[in-house]
Amino acid sequence: MLAELLTQVTVIIVVLLVGFVPVCIGRRRLRATRHEWRDRMREAAPVAGMVLVVLLANRFTRQRLPDISWAIDWNLTPTFYAIEGEAIIWFQQFASPPVTQYFSFVYIYGYVFILVFPVIAYFALSDTRPLRELLSAYALNYLIGLFLYLLVIAYGPRNIMPTAIETVLYDFRPQYQYLTQEVNHNTNVFPSLHTSLSATIAIFAYRTRDEYPIWFAVAAPLAASIAVSTMYLGIHWAIDVVAGITLAVGTVYAADRLVGRWSLAEDFGIEVDEYAARIRRIAGTSAPTDPPSPAEDDEYGEADGADVEGPSSDEPSTGRRS
Amino acid sequence: MDRIQRLITGAASDQLSITILTLPTDNDRQAIKIARQLEENLKAVGINVRIEPRADAELLQTVLLEHDFDCYISRHPGGYDPDFLYETFHSKFAPEAGWQNPYGFVDTKLDELLERQRSTTGSERKEAIGEALDRLAQTHPIVPICVPDERRLVRTDRFDGWDDHHLGTRLGYLGLEPDENDFEDEVVLNAVITDSSPSRNINPLAAAYRYRGPFIDLLYDSVATRDDDELRPWLAESWEWDESVATITLRSNCLFHDGEPVTADDVKFTYDLLDDTSLGDRDGQSPAPRYRGVGDAVESVTAVDDRTVRMRFGTSDEVGELAFTVPILPKHIWKTAVKDRLENGAEPIQGTWDLVTTEEIPPIGSGPFALTEQEPRSHLRFERFDDHFTRRGYVDLPEPRVDEIAFHVEPNSSAAVDQLEAGNADVTGSILGSETVGDVPDGLELVESESWTFYHIGFNVRNSPFSNLHFRRNVARLIDRESLVADVFNEQASPTVTPVTGEWIPDDLEWDGSAPYAPFFRDETNSGDTGELDIEQAKREFERHGFQYDEDGEYIVRS
Repeated sequence: MLAELLTQVTVIIVVLLVGFVPVCIGRRRLRATRHEWRDRMREAAPVAGMVLVVLLANRFTRQRLPDISWAIDWNLTPTFYAIEGEAIIWFQQFASPPVTQYFSFVYIYGYVFILVFPVIAYFALSDTRPLRELLSAYALNYLIGLFLYLLVIAYGPRNIMPTAIETVLYDFRPQYQYLTQEVNHNTNVFPSLHTSLSATIAIFAYRTRDEYPIWFAVAAPLAASIAVSTMYLGIHWAIDVVAGITLAVGTVYAADRLVGRWSLAEDFGIEVDEYAARIRRIAGTSAPTDPPSPAEDDEYGEADGADVEGPSSDEPSTGRRS
Repeated sequence: MDRIQRLITGAASDQLSITILTLPTDNDRQAIKIARQLEENLKAVGINVRIEPRADAELLQTVLLEHDFDCYISRHPGGYDPDFLYETFHSKFAPEAGWQNPYGFVDTKLDELLERQRSTTGSERKEAIGEALDRLAQTHPIVPICVPDERRLVRTDRFDGWDDHHLGTRLGYLGLEPDENDFEDEVVLNAVITDSSPSRNINPLAAAYRYRGPFIDLLYDSVATRDDDELRPWLAESWEWDESVATITLRSNCLFHDGEPVTADDVKFTYDLLDDTSLGDRDGQSPAPRYRGVGDAVESVTAVDDRTVRMRFGTSDEVGELAFTVPILPKHIWKTAVKDRLENGAEPIQGTWDLVTTEEIPPIGSGPFALTEQEPRSHLRFERFDDHFTRRGYVDLPEPRVDEIAFHVEPNSSAAVDQLEAGNADVTGSILGSETVGDVPDGLELVESESWTFYHIGFNVRNSPFSNLHFRRNVARLIDRESLVADVFNEQASPTVTPVTGEWIPDDLEWDGSAPYAPFFRDETNSGDTGELDIEQAKREFERHGFQYDEDGEYIVRS
């Protein structure tokens, strides 16, 4: 049953990507990527490795995690329930089969899509800094999330309000529980990693909105939908969602600082950048590349500025964004 | 400060507040619903409530071993013989950790009745039990709520014989007939369970992980086995009673899964171990946190020769025979396990020391199946033990006919049913939640078994406020069994005011629409509306018994 579900998710995500990648990323960036992927891989490899280690650690500790949590026995479920009561029931007034269909689709498929797409999109940028920042933010989200999961026992609202929520995901799609329990245990709802990772991605999408305006237009509502879906489907408390957003802001900030500190570009100075730029220029002589836009230079000041005008140069650059 | 706190948590700082432990929706949808109903009524009469969901084993751990609770709502395994009341409520067990008297209940009159039912038989015993149940119904250490129907779904295309024996016992899994055409070589029975406990710990003495289910009885043999209403010889070929002494003859040439022979010495050792898990190492005894009542009935055990055991009981033979159902443990493994732990400096603290909580003692028994694989929270695999005595031609007992049984842990009842529908499993090993049994899906069959389990509220009478009888009674009066059975159980349960079932219930405690000693505070003025709580009457009753309300009369002030 799990294999079936995984296949189903994979197929849908691939279909979404096939449709979305060309539209959103653009042929030129993809063509450039074909030439530069080795360099970009090399630059992103340390961070990507980190994400992999965190994911593997999650994989192997998952079975043991609940036992340790119960040994610590810091059960915050009653506290969350005492504080917010049945607040998330508020979403039930909008409940209808299409809305439920939408949110359950978003919770499972939308979430996987929002996680996967920016990795591809940022890999398609000649500046790897957004990619590296995104990956470190993923890793940080997971690490801090896992730590809190270990520390805190919290059942989600559906586990304490068996009747109040008509739209519990696992009641009308019990099979989804196989999927989610592969990643998570039912005592791990604080914070909402669905929310924190989606919010993280939304913040990144905002910062790269000049490179990927379509992606920003998609990611922002999608991330919001995912956050709402966790409450609508009875999986998370509002507190978990707030904690998720806080975690997202914190990790984006931290990723900013950390990547700045240890990036190869800064450690090894200009030579690496120039070297990369030279390769790109050599590559450029044989195939037309999609040069980074000025906006990208603004946001991530270390990109090579030696290239020709970007496609969005007809719009005046507004300088550094906040 | 008060106002802020009330705003945030809905309770004033001087308000009486209690915590209800129960299972989360995933584990037991009915228990949490009962808890929510009680919460609503408690709040209505001005008592603040915290509901704390805990997973199966963790709930039992807190209640049975740590005694760290106000009250809890869950299912009790009950028992086919009412003697389980002795273990559950006798005051001599109040200080111990385990299934024995977790409530800390002390009542000398009840003690006397519980002892009397152990030494009498027939109508005398029945009378003593009736009186004990009456006493329980008046003193409220627990509030029995209802006996849920015990239902399981099975697939009939690969195996037959589901109705032959109770599926909550070992016999339910023996004698099942595989349809040979459906299997190429290995015959594997796939069962789905919703309680992960056995996959996490299969120690027969670990109280928090042992609730119900056939797991221990598949792995370990016992002297006798329960088959419907009778006790049949199992590891024993036969036994004979002489006054209060039973002489047991064991079957010949039985082996443990590691090849060691099962002897009278192992049987004696098992009962000695139940009596004192430190095997006499310390002055004080450290009785096991399970089988306490039946273990207590045994006065002495002697191994007469390899195959003969003599057991002396301090009870009637009817109660004594209940001790024949405990799992017989291999001395060569458990004695070493005890010695190793004591040598390493472990303190044999009753009920909670390593021997009776660890998952590390090799799960070697002599039962019809041996454990081959155990993956926490995922699955357990058992493989047929070919040397088991039931496989001998001349033994007229159901024998294991499948090569392997796999128990897969599912997140909840509906997921378990899905696995059956998808053809991935043959039986729902755990009892189904009543939310999942509506129309029986095509190709599946519903098996209904006799049920001894009951939903109840258990009180920790060691601490205020549940140390107060009047408080317990008034809380009991907030329970509307009929509306719970209708709304929470879809009528798939019977209301009850006693922890026993069937013919043991005395006439005056038979459910007749109202609990005799603690009737629901029903709002009679609104007769069309059943399930309506008469808040004013309830508040007056709390007040009458010394519970003070705040000046606005809204909530009970903590004393």
